[in-house]
Amino acid sequence: MGEAIVVTSGKGGVGKTTSTANIGTALALLGKKVCLVDTDIGLRNLDVVMGLDNRIIFDIVDIATGNCRIEQALIKDKRFDQLYMIAAAQTKDKLALSTSAMQAIVHKLKMDFDYVLIDCPAGIEHGFRVAITGADQAIVVTTPEQAAVRDADRVIGLLEAEKIPPAKLIINRIRPHMVKNGEMLDIDDIISVLSLDLLGIVPDDEQVIKNANHGEPTVVKPDSKASQAYRNIARRIIGDPVPLMNLQEQSGFFKRMKKMMGLG
Amino acid sequence: MLTNTAFEPAGQEYVTIKGIKNGLVFKLADDVQFDAVLGALTAKLGNGSSPFSSGAKVTVYVDYGSRELTPEIQDAVEKVFLAVGEIQVKLYQESEEEEPQASHKLLPKPPYVYKGTIRSGQLIEHDGDVVIIGNVNPGAHIVASGDIYVFGRLRGYVHAGASGNVRAIVAAAYFEPMQVRIATVIRRSPEAYSHPAEMEFAHLEGDQMAVEKMSLLQNFQNLLMTDKAVI
Repeated sequence: MGEAIVVTSGKGGVGKTTSTANIGTALALLGKKVCLVDTDIGLRNLDVVMGLDNRIIFDIVDIATGNCRIEQALIKDKRFDQLYMIAAAQTKDKLALSTSAMQAIVHKLKMDFDYVLIDCPAGIEHGFRVAITGADQAIVVTTPEQAAVRDADRVIGLLEAEKIPPAKLIINRIRPHMVKNGEMLDIDDIISVLSLDLLGIVPDDEQVIKNANHGEPTVVKPDSKASQAYRNIARRIIGDPVPLMNLQEQSGFFKRMKKMMGLG
Repeated sequence: MLTNTAFEPAGQEYVTIKGIKNGLVFKLADDVQFDAVLGALTAKLGNGSSPFSSGAKVTVYVDYGSRELTPEIQDAVEKVFLAVGEIQVKLYQESEEEEPQASHKLLPKPPYVYKGTIRSGQLIEHDGDVVIIGNVNPGAHIVASGDIYVFGRLRGYVHAGASGNVRAIVAAAYFEPMQVRIATVIRRSPEAYSHPAEMEFAHLEGDQMAVEKMSLLQNFQNLLMTDKAVI
């Protein structure tokens, strides 16, 4: 029996889909059998980030309405043996997927997969409630901005009300030099407000945007900082104790970059 | 002690007395002759069980049940009471009985104690004091008719004395609320405010809100005591 993990944030655009794609791929790289589920019905884009958008035949609403079996809607990622995804419907409304149907789908997927990663839509309405039903764990993604932290806080409250075990936190798009100058929220500040366990910090990395546009998760290329961060997160999920990326170390890295540029 | 009198057949009382918050209700049987009821009432007030022996001015409510009310009947009953002492007789209405329950709300209630973080979008509402053992995050709301004490970081919206109590206070170990309301006074936290490393509380001085160190709470309360004495 696998584990279902919902990736949520409240606010849009903080990196839920990117995180889902990268953590899922990293787990698959670690040898786990993973299924990514996009629940953002009407605004699906996990398939785009994964580069699987041209291979969708059936989607999650087809499963829910009995148009197809789960196996028919599973899209296999050719790059990795163990990675599958189920796309969201694009032409339907969020209400097309009910909580009971979602629960049944997640339950069946957990039989076959080690990890079922559920990409949650932004907001806290019906789509959110559907995405979190059946999840055993939650990952809350936020960025070092007041608005994102405020929304994350709201979502954590709702997850607690749903009796989902305490969520784990990912702080995405950290710019170490801005944090150092006090222009960005400090990691400690964010944790003190949200009072959650930190699953990982992901530095802001242009490589992530480039890769997403090519339909390729960043973790595939091991050279970038963000890639390393997502790999660390995946290892922490499977219970491997990995020390957190040190911001100090990163600022050192940036300093070195500056020095190199100065010298060059 | 109420006992049957000669006027009442055994096992049936023509007049029953019941205490409510505002006084006493005399329920007069409506299925027997009025004269018999009047007789029973006279006897009841006449014997030692009369509750009006103190001589104080009291109000009684008379419940006539379904008996048709005429001025004569009311006069007759009033006379019986006036013969005993200075008693104001009023017609009993159902609403008199509801009142004791409503007034029950005015009694101080035990504080509501919450352990944990109150997050954005969450609301704690309580008729009485509220104690939070944990943080109150930005965007969280607490509304209390009494005081609010936060043993943690207070960074949300708080409203103490919500039903108009200007003596209510808001205290927090780390006092950085987005907005504080006490009774009808609203203040927001100043932008640049250096926080002392000790517990603080907000209270009203007239229509101004003041934030002071917790050690001064004693003075504030003493002040209230003298206020009370003046009143």
